[in-house]
Amino acid sequence: MRGKGKWATVPLGAAVLTAMTATGCSGGGGGSGGEKVTITHYTIDSPDRTFVEKLIPDFEKAHPNIKVKVTKAPYEQFDSKLQSAIAAKNAPDVTSHWGYGGFMEYYNKGMLMDLTPYLEEGGFKASDYNIPDSVMDIYKVDGKTYGIPLNSYVTVMLYNKDLFDKAKLEYPPTDYEDKSWTFDKMVDYAKKMTVDSTNLAEAQYGVDFGWGERDQRPQYFGANVYSEDTWTNGGKPTEINLSKPETIDAYKKIYGLIWDQKVSPTAAFSKSVSGQFGDPFLSGKIGMSVVGSWSLASAKDFSFNVGVAAVPQGPNEKVRSVLYVDPLFVLKDSKHPKEALEWIKYLITTEVQEKSIELSGGNPPVNQKAAEKYYSNFEGIDPEQIKQVYEGAFKYGFESYNHLISNYSQINELFINELAPVENGDKKAEEVLPVIEEKLKKLLQRVNE
Amino acid sequence: MSELTTSAAACKPRRRGPKLSSVLGVAALLIVTVIMLSPLWFMVATALKTTKEMLRFPPTVIPEQFAWGNFKELFVNSEIKFGRQYMNSVIVAVFSVFGTVLSSSLVAFGFSRYRAKGSQVLFMLVLSTMMLPYPAIMIPQFLLFTKLGLHDSLLPLILPNFVGSAYMIFLLRQFFSTLPAELYDAGRIDGSGEFRLYWSLTLPLAGPVLATVAIFTFIWSWNDLLAPVLYLDSQENFTLPIGMAAMMSSKFRLAPWNLLMAASILASIPIILMFVVAQRRFVEGIVLTGMK
Repeated sequence: MRGKGKWATVPLGAAVLTAMTATGCSGGGGGSGGEKVTITHYTIDSPDRTFVEKLIPDFEKAHPNIKVKVTKAPYEQFDSKLQSAIAAKNAPDVTSHWGYGGFMEYYNKGMLMDLTPYLEEGGFKASDYNIPDSVMDIYKVDGKTYGIPLNSYVTVMLYNKDLFDKAKLEYPPTDYEDKSWTFDKMVDYAKKMTVDSTNLAEAQYGVDFGWGERDQRPQYFGANVYSEDTWTNGGKPTEINLSKPETIDAYKKIYGLIWDQKVSPTAAFSKSVSGQFGDPFLSGKIGMSVVGSWSLASAKDFSFNVGVAAVPQGPNEKVRSVLYVDPLFVLKDSKHPKEALEWIKYLITTEVQEKSIELSGGNPPVNQKAAEKYYSNFEGIDPEQIKQVYEGAFKYGFESYNHLISNYSQINELFINELAPVENGDKKAEEVLPVIEEKLKKLLQRVNE
Repeated sequence: MSELTTSAAACKPRRRGPKLSSVLGVAALLIVTVIMLSPLWFMVATALKTTKEMLRFPPTVIPEQFAWGNFKELFVNSEIKFGRQYMNSVIVAVFSVFGTVLSSSLVAFGFSRYRAKGSQVLFMLVLSTMMLPYPAIMIPQFLLFTKLGLHDSLLPLILPNFVGSAYMIFLLRQFFSTLPAELYDAGRIDGSGEFRLYWSLTLPLAGPVLATVAIFTFIWSWNDLLAPVLYLDSQENFTLPIGMAAMMSSKFRLAPWNLLMAASILASIPIILMFVVAQRRFVEGIVLTGMK
């Protein structure tokens, strides 16, 4: 009993102490004139995100009334920590959709603050920060701005120069206007590099076509899984086109790379060479990989020579690259939206965006002036080539579905689970697509009501 | 005659038999041991590889050059703060073990020794809390500790252990119930009070089960990721699982598997040590609680 009593005093004592510190803190900074406020920036605990801590001292010097505190969580736990913080009325001021959920999910849950009045008040112009209007529009709903772009990733093709040299193939072009670089030519190249063998040490594959998420992939082939109104009505598809012939054909082509042409690795192969979530390209056993440009940042660690190329021209003449523009949001519960916005604006200035490239180890800036510096950040790859690939990707780009569709994590999970038998070779795409359509319709009906 | 031959024939292989079977037995054990140890070997080998070698496929079995620097990197890299996280994990685990052993044994003692109206119902109620998964109680508990102002400190991870754990209470109560009532009568005749009966009589006899409770609590606390993630904001307060999960957090960068494996080796040391020290009592404890 005595032991228990002693310990019971611990939380009490600590609570009193914390309460005293808290009140002491706000008391010291109180007063209407130079009121000092603390804003919280919540991010993923990895060096390419937490580097913002190094930008704080300069910001605080320039804004003596604002203090920035960075809180973080590992990727897998990012969403749960955020949700519990919001539930406990302890929400951070600034964050992004760095977990599984996307912009539309945050928006529809009412988590985001409409920044329009604050932007207007401060006379914000995207051009001052060299952000293209089209990029700024991604995070607008009904003309209201809910997010300020920070980084822009695109889809690129990385290729293993060593495997190309061995197969005596010409390197693929970086120019999106070079229309001779087509999907079919890519498959031809891939065939020449593929060694389809059950012996893992011998097997190698020509191409890993990781273009967007599974539901976006048909877009490359000119088919759209969701009705057009999805992009204007807040990410809620009214029609699903999974049983249309063009969509079925698109999926047949995608999975045909694995099972008919046999130029792409099976899921089993990928997992065995790179683990559950790794990228098989890193093993040096894949000739070409269509992938998000974040993979470029690790290029210096690859054990082979790597090149960058344009995503080949597919049946869709307008869309060849998925764009992943990461924004910063101010959460609705923020008590200091103005100060939070100051911090965001600071992060997108040319100087800070340039600094961030090096500090983060190669995050692509949204500020197009700073982007020049980004292109020359990768050892062994010609800056002009990266620039050309990026510019082409922007021109022929479409924003990633996960940022645009409501309740995306559930939808994505459905696609992953239902397409698994196709990826494993147990079923054909045309068999599972009607099932997915059915389930997806039910899911959307439930979540969008 | 025929009997003789059969017995002689039976004798021969019998003499050779044990030899062959023991050789086969040892060989089989060796093979199983190698299979069981291979992930451990892979962990050690990866911990000693350079980043370039770590990515090679098929992987090298023995590192070409031993990168001992990986271990040093964990402690000198200011972004990782491994030493600090290790210390925090030790603090949380040690206090959790202390709290659980103390509180759960006290409650279990009560349940096993005293009969009162509704004590069975009360015990069932305690047991039923085992059915609540942590995610179900995490938000209310988070709110509670935030209101108490204990957010971003190690206390929310330690304090719940001081109010007992249903599973441990159950384990201990089952053990305490096997101790004969005569023992307590003798204690009372010798003038022991109730607390003395608990402290000087029951606990010393409960060595094996207390060791079991200690090991379980230690491992749970040592491996716990979700609760620390929710409560801790500042890097100085992070525990090992957060630090290690953070190492593979970036979907944009290579996971530093070599550093992660080096960290895993260091992180498994306390658990191995704890098991070695308490092994005899631990195994005894499981056998006893299972039997009685």
